[in-house]
This record gives sequence, C-alpha cells and structure tokens, in this order.
Amino acid sequence: MKHTIRVFAGALLLLLAWGARAELAIEITQGVDNPTPIAVVPFAWQGAGTAPEDVAAVIDGDLARSGQFSPVSRSDMLGRPSSEAEVFYRDWRAINSDYLLIGRVSSAGAMRIEYELFDVLRQTKVFSGFEEGPASEARMLAHRVADAVYEKLTGIPGAFATRLLYISVQRVPGGKDYFRLTLSDSDGARPIVLLESREPVLGPTWSPDGKQIAYVSFETNRPAIYRQVLATGEREQLTNFKGLNSSPSWSPDGNTMAMVLSKDGNPDIYLMDLASKRLTRVTDHYAIDTEPAWMPDGRSLLFTSDRGGKPQIYRYDLRSRDVSRLTFEGTYNARARVAQDGRNVALVHQQNRQYHIALLDLVTNRMHVLTSTELDESPSIAPNGSMVLYATKYAERGILAAVSVDGGVKFRLPAREGDVREPAWSPYIPR
Amino acid sequence: MNTSIYAKPIMPRIVVRPLLVTLFLHALMLWLLTVNFSDSQSEVVKMKPAPVVINARLVDASELQPKPKPAPKPQPKPAPKPAPKPKVEAPPEPKPAPKPAPKPAPKPAPKPEPKPEPKPEPATPRMTPQELAALARAELNDQLLAEEAARATAAADEMAASFVALIQQTVVGYWSRPPSARNDMQAELQIQLIPTGEVVSVQVVKSSGNAAFDRSAVNAVQKAGAFPELQKLPNAEFERQFRRFRLIFRPEDLRY
Repeated sequence: MKHTIRVFAGALLLLLAWGARAELAIEITQGVDNPTPIAVVPFAWQGAGTAPEDVAAVIDGDLARSGQFSPVSRSDMLGRPSSEAEVFYRDWRAINSDYLLIGRVSSAGAMRIEYELFDVLRQTKVFSGFEEGPASEARMLAHRVADAVYEKLTGIPGAFATRLLYISVQRVPGGKDYFRLTLSDSDGARPIVLLESREPVLGPTWSPDGKQIAYVSFETNRPAIYRQVLATGEREQLTNFKGLNSSPSWSPDGNTMAMVLSKDGNPDIYLMDLASKRLTRVTDHYAIDTEPAWMPDGRSLLFTSDRGGKPQIYRYDLRSRDVSRLTFEGTYNARARVAQDGRNVALVHQQNRQYHIALLDLVTNRMHVLTSTELDESPSIAPNGSMVLYATKYAERGILAAVSVDGGVKFRLPAREGDVREPAWSPYIPR
Repeated sequence: MNTSIYAKPIMPRIVVRPLLVTLFLHALMLWLLTVNFSDSQSEVVKMKPAPVVINARLVDASELQPKPKPAPKPQPKPAPKPAPKPKVEAPPEPKPAPKPAPKPAPKPAPKPEPKPEPKPEPATPRMTPQELAALARAELNDQLLAEEAARATAAADEMAASFVALIQQTVVGYWSRPPSARNDMQAELQIQLIPTGEVVSVQVVKSSGNAAFDRSAVNAVQKAGAFPELQKLPNAEFERQFRRFRLIFRPEDLRY
C-alpha cells in the first residue's frame, strides 16, 4: 500500500511537471461595446486660400454617427500632425485616443485627399490611402475616407458614401402643401430637391445600381409610378392605372419592378418587366396585399397583407408561388425591408398601441424591437446592414432618425424645415 | 464523556484518524489520476473552465469542456475541490480499502460508518501491535507530507486563480468588440509580462480570421497595459504561470 501511494505520488509529480510546460490560457468571453476613441486631426490644406470643405469634420461626424467611435474633441488635441513624421504617440495616448487619423488635402484641378491611420496603442501605422475627385464632391470624398477607416477598424464596409432620398412636406396653412422629393448625403447634408409638387409624392426607392430612382406622384391628380435617372433628370411614367399605383420596388437584378395595383379590384402585388412593361400578377387575394420588398437573392418577395385579419408580413416564393407568413408576434407588422445579408428584416411593429421599428431575424425568427418612440415608420436599411433609417415624430414634426441594428446606437438627422418622411437609403454608389 | 448525549466512536483514535486520512488521500489520488487520464486528449480545456466558472458564468463550463486544447495545469486546480467528488468514486474502487485495518472495508463513507463496526479491528489484528503502530506512523508521515504538498499547490493555485480572474475582468473592461464580431469567433493571443505586471508583448497566435476582431483583442490588452497586482505573486508562481500566457477571446454574449 505504501508502495502504491509512492507510485501515485510519483505519477502526480510527473503530471504536474508535464502540465507546467503548457501555457496558462485565459478566456475572455465578454466585452464592453464602448465606442472606440479616435482622433481625426484637421487635414492640412495644401492649396490656395482656404479649404473648400472641412474634410476631417465630415469624417469625424460620420464615425461618431456610427456609434462605433467617439471622436476626440479638437480642443483636446495636443498637436496637429499632418504627416507621419509629426506623430508623437504619447500625445495621443495621453488623451486616451486609440487611433489617430491624419491627412492632407490638395487641389490641383482635381481634389486629392491623402490620409494615414495610426494605432496609438501599438504605435504603428494601420494603413494609408487617398481619394481623388472633383472639388465639388469634396464631401463625398471625405465620406469615402470614413468608409475606408470604418471598414478597417470594424470589419464591416462603411456606408457613409451613400445618399438618402426622402420626402419633405412644407405645410402651407390654408393652401396646398409643397411636397419635395429630396436627395442628400448620408448625413443629411447637401439636400437637393429632385421634384417639387403641390400634390403628394410618395414611396421613393432606389434602383440596385443607385443610378435611378422610382416614386409615386399624384401630379396628374391620381397616383402614378415614375422612374427617374439621377444623372440626367430624365424620367418615365411607368403606370397610370385606375385606382392604386403604389410601393414600387426594384428587383435586385434591376430588370423588374414590383408594385401594388388595384386595377383588378382590390390591391394586389404585380411585377412589371421594365423593358417590355409587361405586367404579371403575383398575388390574387381578397385581402389587401401591399408594400412588396425583394429578398436580396431575387427569388422571393416579402409583402404586407391583412389576409389573416391583421396586417402581417408574408413571403411569396416566385418559383413555387407559395405564400408563407413570417410574423406572428403582435397584431401589426408592416412595411418590411430586407438587409443585404437576407437575414435581417426591418419592419414597423405595433406594441402597446405604439408603432416601433423592429428587426426580424429570419434565421432565429426572433423579433427585436429597436426603437421606443411612438410613431415610427418607413424603415430603410443601410447597404452595409448596420443602421436602420426611419421616419418618426419629434417635437410635433416629422423627422428622420436612425438606429443601429443592435438597437444600441440612435441618432436623429439634423432637423430642417417642414415634415420629413419616407426615407430610402441608397445602395452603395459606384465611384 | 458520560454526559455527552452523543456516543463517541469506540474505535481507537490512532486507527480511525489515519484510516480516514488514508481513505481520503487514496480517493483523491485516484480521482486525480482518472481525471488526468481522461484529460490527456483534451488538455487545456480542463483548466479554462475553472477560472471562468468561478467568477463569470456557469454556462461556459459545459461549452468549454469539449474543446481540445493543450491544458496547462489541470491537476492543481482540482486539488482543492476534489473532496466531495472522491466520495462518489471511492465505493466502486476495490483498492481504497484501508490497508492497515483489514476489516472495516465496507463502504466509503468516512464518518458515520465507524460507529457501527468498531469491534472488528481489535479482534482481527494479524500483526503485533508494535508493527501495526510503526506502519501506521510511517504511513501517516507519508500522508502528511503528501497532504502538505497538495495543500501548498492548492493554495498557490487558488491564488493564481484569483489573478486569472483579475486579468479577465480587467481585459473584459477594455475589450470593445467591433460590430463584425460574432459569437463563434476566437482569437488567441500570447501575452508576455514582466514581474511588475507590465505587458511587454502581445501577439496574435491564432487569428479569428477577422482583422478588426483581432485588433480589438490586442487593443484590449494594450489598453489594460499592466496588471500591477501580479507583483503580489511569489516569484516562482509568476514565472510558472504569468511570465507568458495565452488569452483566448471568444465572445459569448453577442446576439449572433
């Protein structure tokens, strides 16, 4: 017995010795989703006069709005480096900035923005790059820099160099309101009115290549669907049927437009081949079928229908022609928009008699309510799937707001005159 | 003695104590050995759950188990806790039967049992009392030594565990995950410290495949910068465990 113990003890010692050689491994399974501090130093202007645009401020704003970054205030910066040689890491470590973005802007004919991103903690350059384009597009170039930095640091492509479409309504007491179809940068800056009408304009939407838009206009005193080429302003009336003509939605291949028509009775979903203008009826139901939205693979459509008694989201499979119901939570789910990953669906969800923006995860079938304001509507997902833009009411006015898909980040777009509604976030815009 | 309501065990102390100690130690050894054997294929795993479970979330334990990884020092940790478990394993084992005293063999249960079957011992001795005593003494000695050693490792290990927890907490507090982080991602870093607790090097030894995720992990350690509390560790312990160790970043609380 004694012997046995010795053997055991010996074995134990051996094992200990053997074990000691392996390295201690500690697991980290949680984290804080704090925004990452980044210092965006004002870019050096290397042209005549003053810079036409504060490029760094645009980048700074983009990164801050994403909620993933907390830009360092300029007044806290201990230096204004614009080249690598001028970077002293300790200055940035001292103000707890994890990253440092510096750059130079020059303009000799075209505008050129050169930038460098540094990792302050590791004291290394992460990457550098440049953007070039007409000086009139300075903001777009800045958004592209923000996209590159965002992608490098988050692993997700940025969606700052995109545009927004929305309808603004200017109330005219005692008269007819003005409806303006407006195009702006993703941060709401540089609004351009594409169409002004004293009759309602609704449902703006983008072509998948971001070069054309479609919308419903009542300018002929009845609703009609139009499409318009952004670059030339050239437009075409697609429908002029009796009754409802609404909710245009471009197919992912750009060849087909889904829409809602009531020409054959009550509202149903139709597809129009854009080349031949031939119509195909998709749904034929005595209930109201509306708000079609394409799945990114183009094989099925989501739509809102009250065929079950209350508005809910259904999916129509274009091949099998099967219709399946997707939402079961709550008594009102409408206006679905599908993210590019085909997994997240943003929709309007009613809860406690309030209308919120929610995200339906098609994989887990879980619904996540993202907003807590009362009258949220018209969700539109950023092309990178990170944010949902929507319309809501704030201080008695219609405004645009955005929420991140995890619900953690929210912001309102700068308020402007009138009511703003029906935002549509563009796809990625080719250079 | 007579006033006590509770009858004291009649078994002579000199036999009972060593007997119990023996039973316990054997069970412990057996347990340790079986644990080690079953562990030999999935080494690292065993130890990881320990620290995590203690201060973080119990969920982790089950999930960690299956993962194969080079286990640093499984044995130490178990040491302190085995107490309860051995009991379970002891019964089936034939060996643990007390060597000096042939009889009581019965079940494992240490305390309660002795009372009922005290007599057999005195009745059955085959060795002379002197022999028996000498044997018992020798054995007791061995056991005490072993116990002492085990206790020392256990203490050192408990201490190490608390520093592991500290490192975890600190790093968690600085880890800001990028939005592209997913629950199935895993990055493994190798950290080097100096005895002041300062981080002198951080290297990605196994990438998650997502550069932003890896960077967030490295930055979490860089931001932590130092774990000055480690200065309290005995030098040997620092060298053994913390001079160089690995940090595995594997989010479990994300939505996806």
